[in-house]
Amino acid sequence: MSKLLSALILALLLAGCFSLATVLQQRAPHWSRRAQSDNVLKMVFGDGRRFLADGFFRKADVSFHSGFYPTIFDQANASQDTRHLTAKEGEPEAEEHEKQMNFLGPPRDWIERFGRHFAVTTHTHLEGKNEREILPWLKVAAELDPQKIETYTVSAYWLRDLGKYKEAEAFLREGMRNNPESYEILFELGRLYSENLHEPARARNVWELALRRWSDQQAAGKKPDLRDLDLIAVFLARLEENDGHPARALELLHIAQKASPNPQALQPQIDDLKRQLAGQAPSPAPSSH
Amino acid sequence: MNTILALAGVVIMELYRRKDFYVLFVLTVLITLVMASLSFFHDTGIVRYVKEIALLLIWVSALVIAVGTTARQIHAERENRTIFPLLAKPVTRGQVIVGKFLGCWLACGLALVVFYLFFGVISGSREHYWPVLSLFQAFWLQWVMLGIVVAFVLLGSVVFAAPSSNATISFIVVFGLLLLGGHLNQVALQQPEPLRSVIYTIYFVIPHLEWYDVRDLVIYDWNRVPWVDCALATVYAGVYSALLLFGAWLVFRRKALNL
Amino acid sequence: METIVETRNLRVEYRARDASSGKKLALKDLNLKVGAGEVFGFLGPNGAGKTTTMNVLLGFVNATSGAAFLFGVDVREPIARQRIGYLPELTYYYKFLTAEELLRFYARIFGIPRAQADQRIDQLLKLVELEPARRRPIKTYSKGMQQRVGLAQALINNPDLLILDEPTSGLDPLGRMKVREIIQRLKNEGKTVFFSSHELGEVETVCDRVAIINQGELKVEGRVAELIEKHQANLERIFLNIIGYQT
Repeated sequence: MSKLLSALILALLLAGCFSLATVLQQRAPHWSRRAQSDNVLKMVFGDGRRFLADGFFRKADVSFHSGFYPTIFDQANASQDTRHLTAKEGEPEAEEHEKQMNFLGPPRDWIERFGRHFAVTTHTHLEGKNEREILPWLKVAAELDPQKIETYTVSAYWLRDLGKYKEAEAFLREGMRNNPESYEILFELGRLYSENLHEPARARNVWELALRRWSDQQAAGKKPDLRDLDLIAVFLARLEENDGHPARALELLHIAQKASPNPQALQPQIDDLKRQLAGQAPSPAPSSH
Repeated sequence: MNTILALAGVVIMELYRRKDFYVLFVLTVLITLVMASLSFFHDTGIVRYVKEIALLLIWVSALVIAVGTTARQIHAERENRTIFPLLAKPVTRGQVIVGKFLGCWLACGLALVVFYLFFGVISGSREHYWPVLSLFQAFWLQWVMLGIVVAFVLLGSVVFAAPSSNATISFIVVFGLLLLGGHLNQVALQQPEPLRSVIYTIYFVIPHLEWYDVRDLVIYDWNRVPWVDCALATVYAGVYSALLLFGAWLVFRRKALNL
Repeated sequence: METIVETRNLRVEYRARDASSGKKLALKDLNLKVGAGEVFGFLGPNGAGKTTTMNVLLGFVNATSGAAFLFGVDVREPIARQRIGYLPELTYYYKFLTAEELLRFYARIFGIPRAQADQRIDQLLKLVELEPARRRPIKTYSKGMQQRVGLAQALINNPDLLILDEPTSGLDPLGRMKVREIIQRLKNEGKTVFFSSHELGEVETVCDRVAIINQGELKVEGRVAELIEKHQANLERIFLNIIGYQT
């Protein structure tokens, strides 16, 4: 009899807890301003998920370098920037990265010298469609921290490179749902429409929106990255120029010039557009991006 | 030698009659298969994450088997009093130590063979090629490293009172050596004297287990470690294992047999 | 007669658990001799030093001073134990092994060739009546069955000296009778048996000679019949008198 009574009391308590949970669940969103989550990972890990997400993002970087990566003891000497993940050979970010990945140095003793025979010691990047190997880590990073914008932009860059346009668009749109204020994701989406799907109208809309988002963030005092403004403006300007809107292109290049770390590089294009507007024939302009 | 092999045989029988190995193997298989079944961006050709997860699970499982199996050997003999009928035979305590070591190490080797065969099947089914020599090298180096771990835990089993404390301390030390051992020289150089000399001495004295972790070479399809270096690492592990076993014998020969 | 077991001024001191008590003297200058073919009873109250003596003979414990020999070989040499069999009081064996596997393991330690070991294992399992359970793991055995496995492993190498520590402890009357039969059979084969027991009736029946030890010292030693005649009392009375118990 006492066993039955205990079981009944337990069942009653469980039912009570369940009922309380259903009542509180409706009120709970108002207690916190954090993004609500329907994801088990987020529920389980809490704020630690951001730390884990960073770890998985770094894992993607390790994978990109086929295992050659600085440890925490080498981090001081190595790059913290991850722009190399989407930088092409010859670009300034790539060259800077090449210098900073020279963290190993000569071995300090025979143990280290011998140990290097068992480790990866050559700096390489994945290439020839092998870049897809970094995608699982990026996907997990995005699941753990949907507010990490870089995850979406880097993933989309490589998905585009691998010809997976539908997947890139879907992933970027997921990123936008989680980060509605992000101009970086909008920029990447615009590149997808412009370079891969050949839909200049959609690209224009998205890039214009990206510019507005950037300005909104600046107005709100968030100090968005000027390099991103430079990029958005230059790409949009190119699109407008190709579409036969030189005035708008010129306006955008002026914006880009103010944000660019190398404003002189844009001057030939600006001069070219001015000549177009003045009705003169264009002279060949050096490409700055 | 017969005695040592007989003792080793009993340890191996114990391993495959306990549940530890099967639980770890099934967990490894399940997790790996679940991971392998995932599709990331509709690309079924992505394979390195599966290899990475599988190898990580293999490493963890092998260490659990090595430490768990070894930590209870001497203590169980003393607690269950099976040490008495054993030493009443023409068996020395040194032979007990060596026999237990050999048994635990061979048991780890057998477990590793099964794990690596599974890994070979999984990675081969996706990559459609089998780097047999690379896998063999990775297996060999890991097995040889486990020899150092087993010898260390055996020393701990004659020093520490309980297998649980021995296992805990052994895990901490082994993971510490794997993660930090190779970097102590960098840490040392950042310190003032005399701490620098102390840390550098520790750096030279500890066994460098990180040499034997060639997972990155397997995962990212790098060239194999030169066989000469492999042989030297084997000798290094052999020397360290022998030293640790000698230490275990020195302690055990003076130890009371009952708890 | 060949001396099979011999101790010379054997002294064993332990550090007491209570540090302030200093050292505990477990054995004090014990001199003992057991000849070939004898069944020798080693008696004494709890804590007298019986187990310590056996531990020294078996090499489990080092003597503080003095010496002990088996077949003329110092007990510290492992080879001294090549021709002995030992049955401990508390019988624990590898629970995950079967009786057959356990015996095969011990046979291998003695270097017994495989074919000979198989034959010996069959004989022993029949002798201790464990034939039906030979392939079951020892963890499924009752206490009596474990005791019989213990006896079988003590006999695996056909020892010339059998050292038994309380061999009938925990056995039912039938089990005790079987142990006595085995001891008698070994005696008939010319083997030497050295055992400790609290069953004085059994000792009186089976033993040729006995020694009684108390507080680490040998109090009396001799043939059972001679002791009974000399003290005009049975072994129990002699034992009680020696340990200072007045009825």
